[in-house]
Amino acid sequence: MHKYKCEFLCVGGGIGGLMAAIAAGKKGIDVIVAEKADTRRSGSGSNGNDHFHCYIPECHGTDMSRVYREIGASFDAGPWVDSNLTAVWINRSFEIIKMWEEMGITMRPTGEWRFEGHGMPGQQLYNLKFDGALQKKCLTAEAKKQGARILNRVVIHDILTGEDGRVTGALGIDINNEEPEMVVIECKAALLATGMVSRMYPSITPAYMFNTPCCPATTGDAQAMAYRAGAKLVNMDMLNGHAGPKYLARGGKGTWIGVSTDIRGRSITSYNSKPSRATGDITADVWPTCYRDRLKQGKGPTFMNCTETPVEDLDYMLHTAMVSEGIDSITDYCEHYGIDLTKDMVEFGTYPIMMGQRGIEIDDHARSSIPGLYAAGNCTGNVNGSLAGAAAFGMVAGEDAAEYVKTVDEAPVGNEDLINERQQLYDAFMSRRDGAHWKEAASTLQNLMNEYASADQQNEDMLRAGMVYMGQLRENCLNELACANSHELLRSIEVLNMIDLAEPIFLCSENRKETRGPHVRADYSYMDITLNGKFQTIYKDKDGTVHLEYRFKK
Amino acid sequence: MPPVIDEKKCKKCGYCAAICPLDVLYLDKAAQKLLVRYPDECWHCKACMRDCPVKAITIRYPLSHMMLHYPKEVE
Repeated sequence: MHKYKCEFLCVGGGIGGLMAAIAAGKKGIDVIVAEKADTRRSGSGSNGNDHFHCYIPECHGTDMSRVYREIGASFDAGPWVDSNLTAVWINRSFEIIKMWEEMGITMRPTGEWRFEGHGMPGQQLYNLKFDGALQKKCLTAEAKKQGARILNRVVIHDILTGEDGRVTGALGIDINNEEPEMVVIECKAALLATGMVSRMYPSITPAYMFNTPCCPATTGDAQAMAYRAGAKLVNMDMLNGHAGPKYLARGGKGTWIGVSTDIRGRSITSYNSKPSRATGDITADVWPTCYRDRLKQGKGPTFMNCTETPVEDLDYMLHTAMVSEGIDSITDYCEHYGIDLTKDMVEFGTYPIMMGQRGIEIDDHARSSIPGLYAAGNCTGNVNGSLAGAAAFGMVAGEDAAEYVKTVDEAPVGNEDLINERQQLYDAFMSRRDGAHWKEAASTLQNLMNEYASADQQNEDMLRAGMVYMGQLRENCLNELACANSHELLRSIEVLNMIDLAEPIFLCSENRKETRGPHVRADYSYMDITLNGKFQTIYKDKDGTVHLEYRFKK
Repeated sequence: MPPVIDEKKCKKCGYCAAICPLDVLYLDKAAQKLLVRYPDECWHCKACMRDCPVKAITIRYPLSHMMLHYPKEVE
């Protein structure tokens, strides 16, 4: 067993984790970043981003009511955000942009602040068009410069808390060698920032489960370990997904310069009829299920139609914007197969559920309900968690944690029972012969989620049955999974985390006895108006009792 | 097998294996061979291809990931 000690542990080396490490490092705090891959190229921001959702006073003016209204209306995660948290990142976004520019990230490829995409015609644009192709390398270098220690290929599995309920450390595995080694990290505070849940539901190509729009390494690890540790989760009943080309699943729909049309080239909405480099096509932001809905309504297929896009804009989209966003696999594919976007329309689809921005409830300091435990990015459940939100709340968490660690005494890691239990589990998985492969379990997990916690329609009986079957799957996994090496142990831990995360989804879905937004119940096909403006939260106390509550949206 | 390694160009430096977000690639140090160990876990993100110092990697897009495209109808 390898032991480490620090003041502040960042679990996940994505945008949120690295920003937290930088912020805390600047304040002289001893920081470790534990990342399951390599922070230079890990996660959904691994290869870039080209839109930074932000407020720049010199560009957007000081009419803040307009800014809040317009930014809030264009969230791709829908209305499931607390306004006080949105205010935090709006107000700090420009500060981050300037900081990123100093780190060497190209925030002004044209030399000026330029806004493009994700825009509603007629409103101000809030997405700064930047070149994020090297963002992870720059953030990694800055985190190191600020003194953070980066542990690549270290997979955190559990957050540890003491008798008084506060964070004392974390446990996990080091997968740098073929034989995994258990790791225990002592810390006073920890940030969870491991992204969304990409592989809980079947992918758009079910036989190929890593064909997901965002990074398939994001498997809800943060949400699952937060739930096990007793932290409050929120909005777990609001299933959501993404949209993009079929069947090469790729996020970054805002990078396309085209119009969502039917097969005859007619726009499916009234937002725009001609392609616009300025606004892009906002259809899938405000109506992310449009492609699936139209298929179900018998109105498919639906295309991203760039045939009217000016040739210079197409060239820019394919060879500049998609590279900045890290989705130039699409460019390569088009070139390899001779797809000419002036003549060919690309069919778009709504991708299956990936649970982004559904998860850990945080406050305006990025604190979870557990003392010393923070969260940022797509694993949080009540604020926009994509690039800008992850950056802002990562920074906020790092700043707050730097103060918090000064107020608490060092405490022993404790949790000997849990540490032993995990060590025995890993040993069993690694020593078992002729056992079950993690993909078998992942397949059943995805089938159960798809049928029993369906994005189309749910009912109480199905949810109850699905919950029981998921318990059976967990038991079978613990008794039968076998791993040949550290890679397979990593994949097995991911599956176990997603199985654990199914519980709050099933329970919150069952408890929301109404139909609202993406939550569709066959047995409660109407809206319960007493739940208007409310979010549902869930947490498990030390005795294992689950608490489901509704609270007003802030 | 999504990442395709040009054996003649590859210097076996292992950088691609280190940075692959999905742990698809593996440098077998003993055999001095770079292996595409988990091809069906590839995200086709191009991280390996982008960062290879000698440009020894290309990506093959599998038939399972076919991008559907339809010719615009000319009236």
